[in-house]
Amino acid sequence: MTTNYPELFCAFAGEASLVLGMLVVLGYDLTVGRKRSPTERWQASCILGGAALFSALVVGLRVGVVGPVLGGEFMLDALGVGTRAAVLVLAGLTLMLTAGTARLRNPAEFVAIVLLAATGFSLMAVAQQLLVAFLALELASLSLYVLAGFDKTRPESAEAALKYFLFGGMSAAFLLFGFSLLYGLTGSIDTSAIAAALAAQGSSPLLSVALVMVLVAFGFKAAAAPFHLWAPDVYQGAPATSAALIASASKLAGLTFFVRLLWPGLGYATGDVALRHFSPGWLAVVALLSAASLLVGNFGALAQSNLRRLLAYSAIAHAGALLLGVMAAGTAGPAPLYFYAATYGLATVGAFGVVAVLEAAGVGPQIADLAGLYRRSPLLAGCLFIFILSLAGIPPLAGFFGKFAVFAAALNFGGLASVTGWLAFAAIFLSAVALYYYLRVLKQALVAPPAPGADGRIAVPGAAALALLLAALLLVVLGVFPSLLLQIFS
Amino acid sequence: MIHAGLNTYVTLSALLFVIGFFGVLLRKNTLVIFMSLELMLVASTLALVAFSRFNGTLDGNVFVFFILTIAAAEVAVGLAIIVALFRMRRTVQVDELNALKH
Repeated sequence: MTTNYPELFCAFAGEASLVLGMLVVLGYDLTVGRKRSPTERWQASCILGGAALFSALVVGLRVGVVGPVLGGEFMLDALGVGTRAAVLVLAGLTLMLTAGTARLRNPAEFVAIVLLAATGFSLMAVAQQLLVAFLALELASLSLYVLAGFDKTRPESAEAALKYFLFGGMSAAFLLFGFSLLYGLTGSIDTSAIAAALAAQGSSPLLSVALVMVLVAFGFKAAAAPFHLWAPDVYQGAPATSAALIASASKLAGLTFFVRLLWPGLGYATGDVALRHFSPGWLAVVALLSAASLLVGNFGALAQSNLRRLLAYSAIAHAGALLLGVMAAGTAGPAPLYFYAATYGLATVGAFGVVAVLEAAGVGPQIADLAGLYRRSPLLAGCLFIFILSLAGIPPLAGFFGKFAVFAAALNFGGLASVTGWLAFAAIFLSAVALYYYLRVLKQALVAPPAPGADGRIAVPGAAALALLLAALLLVVLGVFPSLLLQIFS
Repeated sequence: MIHAGLNTYVTLSALLFVIGFFGVLLRKNTLVIFMSLELMLVASTLALVAFSRFNGTLDGNVFVFFILTIAAAEVAVGLAIIVALFRMRRTVQVDELNALKH
């Protein structure tokens, strides 16, 4: 195989600009920025970082859908290009929120690590060979561990980082062992060659072990029960904008990564979940993870009094629905899953952005502290209203259309008499449960009067306000015109 | 001299992986957990090298070089997190880390 370097550079100019931007941010802060005030350093770092993200987005979209690159090691298909664009937008929103609200030291390092994480996500979205995929996943994960522990003044942040690191490290080890078994079985680390070799040699006990190991890592990355234990602690302890990135872009990139691995690569070991011809395979395991996540997430969220932990349990519940989308991707393609994950990411970044602004203003993390938000800051209350309703899946917001597309695809996938059909119904019923805890948040924010002594206005920094409005606007527009995002798949 | 076959290597690496896994689950000291985590990575490395030898392709060997680099980066990040935590809490025992509840 001869390497076509111009083609390679053309396809990855976006990633190159991210890495270059990271170096520029660090270099600027080291030379010019260190003489300035902390506020100016934050602004300069975020503007430089935002410019790098924007140029990566423009370059990535200009390259467009070109198919396999470098002999099939990367796949720039609609899913890859769409995921790349979405993670860059989500990372950009995170940076804008950080610019207005962060009270952290070391602004340049924070922005540089966000850019590194974005590079990792963007490579995860297109990697198709096991080695490249693993490297991309680790680049993203290691950056996120650092981001989770970035606030060195709060013990909770370090504790969250440690928990995230230990769970993440273990899941990476599982994934790696699964990969090494797959390599041993098939003699190749190329997804298409693995698929061909598996189809030729049939199933074996070793293949089942490899599958289970890969699925453990998948469950961790998607925060699916029973591998969800890290999520509430990390979402609660990490700095709010780090949590936003962990909850949104990381999830989207992880789902793309595993859909790419499971359907084309391990397609032979799919199994069947229809009742009449049930056969074991990864589909059955993913169905179990999905059912457990729907139950644990929705019922766990009912008991939460902390807004961040509530968002974490809601993330687990959404992971259950997203896994349904992963299963349905076999017949419906990745479009419904992608739409759901991208719009869920937007709503989550927005919700965590509201949390970040509130915490910067000294308003506590409990749901009860939201009381009277509509009077203290109509902008925050309005944005929170849109984000929460989109998470709940209320039309005409984008969250509704994402849920609708995924459930319809799941019902089409196996019909009514199959596990996916039942799961889709369970998810629809549990959405009613979910509505209760989402409305509890909105009731505090929009109906309850402000507590005595805590009724001053909350100032929203300009950049954060812009990011929140942008996310809310995107949710409304994509809800009304979903084809704007889905047209890349046609 | 007894010739070790592929099964020997795979069994050994599976054993190392299981030892590492139980180390992560059962030990209470963060540093020991961290060492067990590295053991799990090394187990996969051994399996990759053995498969590479017996498959007759070089992919596994190349994979291992990258894993060694990743493991080094992971050590750097992990130890930094443990040091940051120790500065705040003066402990590295996992059962004393329970600040994050409700």
